[in-house]
Amino acid sequence: MLQKRQILRQKVLSNTEIRPNIFLLKVASPEISVSATPGQFCMLRVTEDKSNDPFLKRPLSIHWINKDTGEIQFLYRIVGRGTELLSLIREGEEIELIGPLGQGFKIEDKEIPIIVGGGIGIAPLLFLADILRGTRGVVILGAVTKSLLLRLGAFKESGLEILVATEDGSFGNKGLVTEVFDRLMARLDESDRKRCMVFSCGPFPMLRALYHLCKIYGVKCQVSLETFMACGTGLCLGCAVKAREGFLHVCKDGPCVDAKLIDWEG
Amino acid sequence: MIDLKVKIGTLRLKNPVLLASGTCGYGKELSDFLDVSMLGGIVVKGISLEPRKGNPPPRICETPCGLLNSIGLENVGVERFIREKLPWLRDKGVTVIVNCLGNSIDEYKELSGRLGNVDGIHALEINISCPNVKKGGALFGTDPELTFKVTKAVREETDLPIIIKLSPNVTDICEIARACQEGGATAVSLINTLLGMAIDIERKRPFLGNIFGGLSGPAIKPVALRMVWQVARCVDIPVIGIGGITSFKDAIEFFMAGATAIQVGTATLIDPTSSEKILSGIIDFMKENNYLKIADMKIVD
Ligand SMILES: Cc1cc2nc3c(=O)[nH]c(=O)nc-3n(C[C@H](O)[C@H](O)[C@H](O)COP(=O)(O)OP(=O)(O)OC[C@H]3O[C@@H](n4cnc5c(N)ncnc54)[C@H](O)[C@@H]3O)c2cc1C
Ligand SMILES: Cc1cc2nc3c(=O)[nH]c(=O)nc-3n(C[C@H](O)[C@H](O)[C@H](O)COP(=O)(O)O)c2cc1C
Ligand code: FES
Repeated sequence: MLQKRQILRQKVLSNTEIRPNIFLLKVASPEISVSATPGQFCMLRVTEDKSNDPFLKRPLSIHWINKDTGEIQFLYRIVGRGTELLSLIREGEEIELIGPLGQGFKIEDKEIPIIVGGGIGIAPLLFLADILRGTRGVVILGAVTKSLLLRLGAFKESGLEILVATEDGSFGNKGLVTEVFDRLMARLDESDRKRCMVFSCGPFPMLRALYHLCKIYGVKCQVSLETFMACGTGLCLGCAVKAREGFLHVCKDGPCVDAKLIDWEG
Repeated sequence: MIDLKVKIGTLRLKNPVLLASGTCGYGKELSDFLDVSMLGGIVVKGISLEPRKGNPPPRICETPCGLLNSIGLENVGVERFIREKLPWLRDKGVTVIVNCLGNSIDEYKELSGRLGNVDGIHALEINISCPNVKKGGALFGTDPELTFKVTKAVREETDLPIIIKLSPNVTDICEIARACQEGGATAVSLINTLLGMAIDIERKRPFLGNIFGGLSGPAIKPVALRMVWQVARCVDIPVIGIGGITSFKDAIEFFMAGATAIQVGTATLIDPTSSEKILSGIIDFMKENNYLKIADMKIVD
């Protein structure tokens, strides 16, 4: 019989505020580090063992993995009580988590990967960029302003070409990631565009705008979706999002899905 | 020797811990984490004659120690359930209770007739209590007369044990439970979720896509326990306790209130192995307190 999946209790290596309200959490998890693929996520318990409040685990994408040391990383922003409590966990303490869960990005050899991330949405993309090391890939990172631009140095280590957009022009191109993407696509010829695969994560309006551009340029596009989740394991059907036909369940069919399956206006 | 077996009419359970409908999929979804066949059984996601797409998102909202859901009984429909989901459960030797949902008495009849002839189904749980679907169960479960009629109709349609799942959204739960007994129910299970809602004050609109949702989890346990206590004292048929059970201690409380078996719902969503832990906790508690049977724990008043 297959090895039963465990609810893991793992040691926290560090949990550091890298920008105001943005934390980088490092956890020792050899189990997850060997089996996870880019775009997958974990459900993390944010409170002590016996507490029922808040009692749902929180979904976080796997930000980066070091297969050699068994370290996994999460990058998260404090938006409410759960993430606030998570930020209080200290080095050396244990954290309960389940993972890796869901469908990651589908990567194919012959494609030219274009990674597009906005704000905290860059979280699942570093692991992806790392795996795509050595390809012709391009990474487009966006933020409101320079000080909110996350993990630029880490992305550079992937060796991929990096383009940056800040809304106020304090760093890189002034404007939105979608504008940078638009210019990049306009530069490529038809045959290259056909070989492109866009991988993206970020706020819904950004993903929608990106998808519309992809449609215009005839480029394939995968996105990582966010929704409220109770279980993360396919049990509750609570994570539905509107699809072209019926619903998609983000924790099982996603979080990474082909953008054309989604009902973007719904 | 502790005897964990319980009887619900002709339904024999190897132990009193069941998985509650809607929180364990069709069993297979849980198999990564848990050997489902070691439990007393599984109550699968509510099944209707035709597939249902469910309610618009957002479908869930966390509340203090609770969960609001408005899934809207999304399910694959009875034919796909029998063809695609049941064989796996049958192969694994799982005791299967099918949660049934209909929009009319005729639909309940047709559904139970269809399920009654299928190998691998051990009992039916008739959901007359789901608050989510506008035309659905809510009506039946809050009206003793309709409850009686549905129970009787289903009883005449199949020889399988019939468990009627009760809604807590009523004034007098005993009145409804008695109607089930008179209609020929094998047992009653309770409670389903409590009707509730949440409002998003930033967006200035109801949080859930469906406006109302069902509240579950630890927050509802005191209400569930009170109702189980009452029902166990006003009918003679077995009572299955549901509502906020997250630890073995909760389960013991329900047995003491008079439940013959219990179902674990929302707890499974947070920890897929909860039911297993609850079961082993029950065994330890019985050993330490010299109980030989589940029924021995009932408080005699
Ligand atoms: C598959 C997946 C991967 C994710 N990966 C990351 C990640 O890598 N880094 C990260 O920072 N966040 C990520 N998120 C979002 C993260 O799960 C939520 O921010 C977190 O659960 C909020 O918990 P909380 O208790 O702090 O906030 P709550 O108190 O629950 O909510 C605070 C506010 O945030 C909003 N909110 C909460 N959860 C969501 C959600 N899922 N979608 C939209 N709005 C929400 C609420 O409406 C509310 O306004 C991911 C979500 C999913 C589904
Ligand atoms: C996400 C979710 C889906 C549910 N779906 C069903 C269902 O299809 N049929 C049903 O009878 N009850 C359904 N329920 C109710 C549970 O079976 C149970 O009665 C209720 O949640 C109370 O128990 P708990 O507090 O242990 O979760 C659902 C509950 C939840 C949380
Ligand atoms: S979060 Fe429960 S099914 Fe996806």
